Amino acid sequence: MPTISGIAYKNLRRKRIRSILTILGIALSTWVLVSLLGFNRGYENSLNKDIDNLGFQVLLTAKGCPYEAATLMLQGGQGLRYMPENTVDSLRADKEVEELTPMLMQTVFDPGKGEEGGVVGYLGIDPATYPKMKPYLTFREGKWFSGENSMEAVMGFESAELEQREVGDQILIPGKNVEVTVVGILNRSGTQDDGTIFMPYKSLQKIFGVQDKLTSVGIKLKKTANINAYEEKLYTIPDVQVVSIAQVKNTISNLVSTARVMVMSIAIIAILIAMVGVMNTILMSVWERFQEIGIMKSMGATTSHIFRLIWLETTILCLFGGIIGSLLSVVLAKATGALIRYILPYSPTGSLIRIDAPLVLESMGIILFIGLLSGIYPSLRAARIKPIEAIRSSEGEL
Amino acid sequence: MIKRLVLLFLALSPFLAYAATGCDLNDPDRDVKRLFPTSTGYKTSYASIQKSGGKATLAAVEKALGDKFGGLYETIDAPYTIYTIYKGNSVIGYVHGVNQKGAYGGLQVFLALDTKGKITGFYYQKLSSKNAAKFKAAAFANQFTGLSLADFATLDIKTGKGTGKAALIKNPSTATDKDFLNTLRGVKKNLVLMNVFIYNK
Amino acid sequence: MTDIQIQAKDLSKVYVRGSEKIIAVNKITLEVDKGDFVSFIGPSGSGKTTLLHLLGCLDDPTSGELSIEGRTVVSDGKSLPESKLSPLRRKLFGYIFQKFYLIPTLTVKENILLPFAFHRKPGLAMTANEVAERLGLSKRLAHLPKELSGGEMQRVAIARAIINRPRILLADEPTGNLDSKRSEEISEILSDLNRSDGLTIILVTHNPKLATKAHRIIELQDGRII
Ligand SMILES: Nc1ncnc2c1ncn2[C@@H]1O[C@H](COP(=O)(O)OP(=O)(O)OP(=O)(O)O)[C@@H](O)[C@H]1O
Ligand SMILES: [Mg+2]
Repeated sequence: MPTISGIAYKNLRRKRIRSILTILGIALSTWVLVSLLGFNRGYENSLNKDIDNLGFQVLLTAKGCPYEAATLMLQGGQGLRYMPENTVDSLRADKEVEELTPMLMQTVFDPGKGEEGGVVGYLGIDPATYPKMKPYLTFREGKWFSGENSMEAVMGFESAELEQREVGDQILIPGKNVEVTVVGILNRSGTQDDGTIFMPYKSLQKIFGVQDKLTSVGIKLKKTANINAYEEKLYTIPDVQVVSIAQVKNTISNLVSTARVMVMSIAIIAILIAMVGVMNTILMSVWERFQEIGIMKSMGATTSHIFRLIWLETTILCLFGGIIGSLLSVVLAKATGALIRYILPYSPTGSLIRIDAPLVLESMGIILFIGLLSGIYPSLRAARIKPIEAIRSSEGEL
Repeated sequence: MIKRLVLLFLALSPFLAYAATGCDLNDPDRDVKRLFPTSTGYKTSYASIQKSGGKATLAAVEKALGDKFGGLYETIDAPYTIYTIYKGNSVIGYVHGVNQKGAYGGLQVFLALDTKGKITGFYYQKLSSKNAAKFKAAAFANQFTGLSLADFATLDIKTGKGTGKAALIKNPSTATDKDFLNTLRGVKKNLVLMNVFIYNK
Repeated sequence: MTDIQIQAKDLSKVYVRGSEKIIAVNKITLEVDKGDFVSFIGPSGSGKTTLLHLLGCLDDPTSGELSIEGRTVVSDGKSLPESKLSPLRRKLFGYIFQKFYLIPTLTVKENILLPFAFHRKPGLAMTANEVAERLGLSKRLAHLPKELSGGEMQRVAIARAIINRPRILLADEPTGNLDSKRSEEISEILSDLNRSDGLTIILVTHNPKLATKAHRIIELQDGRII
């Protein structure tokens, strides 16, 4: 016995190619939608993870001093400022601090680097605390220093590559004529660490004659600590500046949100196109079946019957499209991530797109809702067809 | 302020990722003019062992050099930049540099060569050494002038001994300074590769 | 007890096309009894189809009165609203047209049962097999419409029209597309439905043979009965 849903389904099969194309359009929109929603979450997540990887939430630097060795090098090694090493002790006294790590940046002019020479930067760290705060730094070769005063270096991936250094090789600190043994080479991390040469900060203090001085301190707070309040407190220390990683994160988020708006507009356009596609398909099928629908009404189909029939066709199209699109987005998540990575100005490491069941359901809900919305007009038009119009319209045809 | 730092950080990350594996002149226009004062122009081309015969060529190069290839700068597909120097329409020479592992860092050993493969100029584009001044001195560099691959053929780059003219080059630094032998290896590698890429093509 | 099923009084339908007025049905007064078999004949354009549609509540008249089984459908030229007309059509009428209007994606059986998708008269409805048996379609139930002959298609349309046991069957030139042999079959079927089921039939036809099956022949000209 025929049912409304059966009639709807059979009708979609009648125009197979058209139905498939419409489903494909919806599938593509779903893919875009799921991926973008997944991106919104994945991005946030990866960014947070990246920030956590920095190991400390707050970086205290001497006022005016850049906070990354690579930045310092980019500025030609100018602008080093110091704070006394005993700052660390007063900071450690604070109950909110879980851990802190002193750092000392140094740069030196190397006349042998290129024709005019160039700046080489060193980051002095504390072997006891720094590695613990940066667990994501892994070794390609070797390990951290043997002691806090050792004349040893750990090289970032790029810097080791550039100088063709391996564990056991020597490097020379130009101008100081100090030989340093390479004891470790880090894996590529995609961060500034790749271009950094790490040394024990005490050794750097000795080599450069800056005893009892630091350029920055990385501070990791207890989970319970109020970061904002703590930062306020830090500002009472003279001649320091506070770089809050939360701030950095905000800035990156702002930079990316522009790109995100763009990507979202693309998504909305894709959805609109699918919507118009659905509307077009259904309207066409309504006009083609003008007489059929009229005759159904003459045999007792009510306005609501016809509305349901046409709306059901829309639902079936959207449901199939949504399912296929969701599958597509799950299967292609990696590729989509790569594509977005290519478009965005900055993207964190880790997976950019996070898709899970609730997200897929949510997106399918959106697609279904939009599909049903675009089905309303054609369905209403169909429901309003009068049997007499349908029958009259066929007179004169054969 | 923070925003600027972040922008710097962003700007830098690709910078770091592009640390070149080739060996280019820092300032080709100026460098070429200095090495070939009569030149009117140059063309840049890229070669690799992979493109010049692959494994068989690599084996031949290692045999001629008397040492195995190894490390990042000595892979089979490592790119080499060759500057062909023109005076008007005619070729008057070549400039070619190679990366060579040194005692305290990477060396970049550049040679200017005439059309027959004879060295007309030698210099380091990059060198980390306590005795950098001695290595960079004209007295050392001039000893390479006029030599060609034939003079290096019997030179053992591990000891610096051999029968050709190359064996007569004097170590400008202390006897224990390995960078002398590193330099000889770099020069010989440079000549062997140029023989493959240009002179014996 | 009067057996008047359809009562029309001064029923008119006027089409206005620009400044031109076409009076398709002109003040027709007519009564049809239960179980009657009426056929309308007349030249083309005389208003037969229009009148049929008016009596079948498919079209709104311009003026006049119409009541069906005692219920007023049109009063002073005003029809009941669509929401009231629709159930009335469903309960009382079955329609057959010159064209068959079968749904091409459904089988014969499904086409016959199509009205059930929307409505099924409790207790009254026939089964597909019953109807198919009567109309000689038993062997055709699993076929698609495109696999049938014209006569068979019209029989499917008739089956579909009577499956819900209407009380009045309206047929507009049901044999218009068929040859004489098939027309004969259809007219036999209609007579039989009228005779043994007491189904009221109102028929429009150009076919004199078919017309003579009716109890009453009403001839129209220029929208009037002559
Ligand atoms: N929708 C319409 N608009 C304007 N005029 C119409 C319309 N429908 C029918 N007419 C006119 O009304 C008149 C009656 O038409 P109708 O279809 O009832 O005739 P008919 O007797 O059924 O003719 P035929 O035997 O050819 O089917 C005709 O003159 C026709 O042109
Ligand atoms: Mg007619």
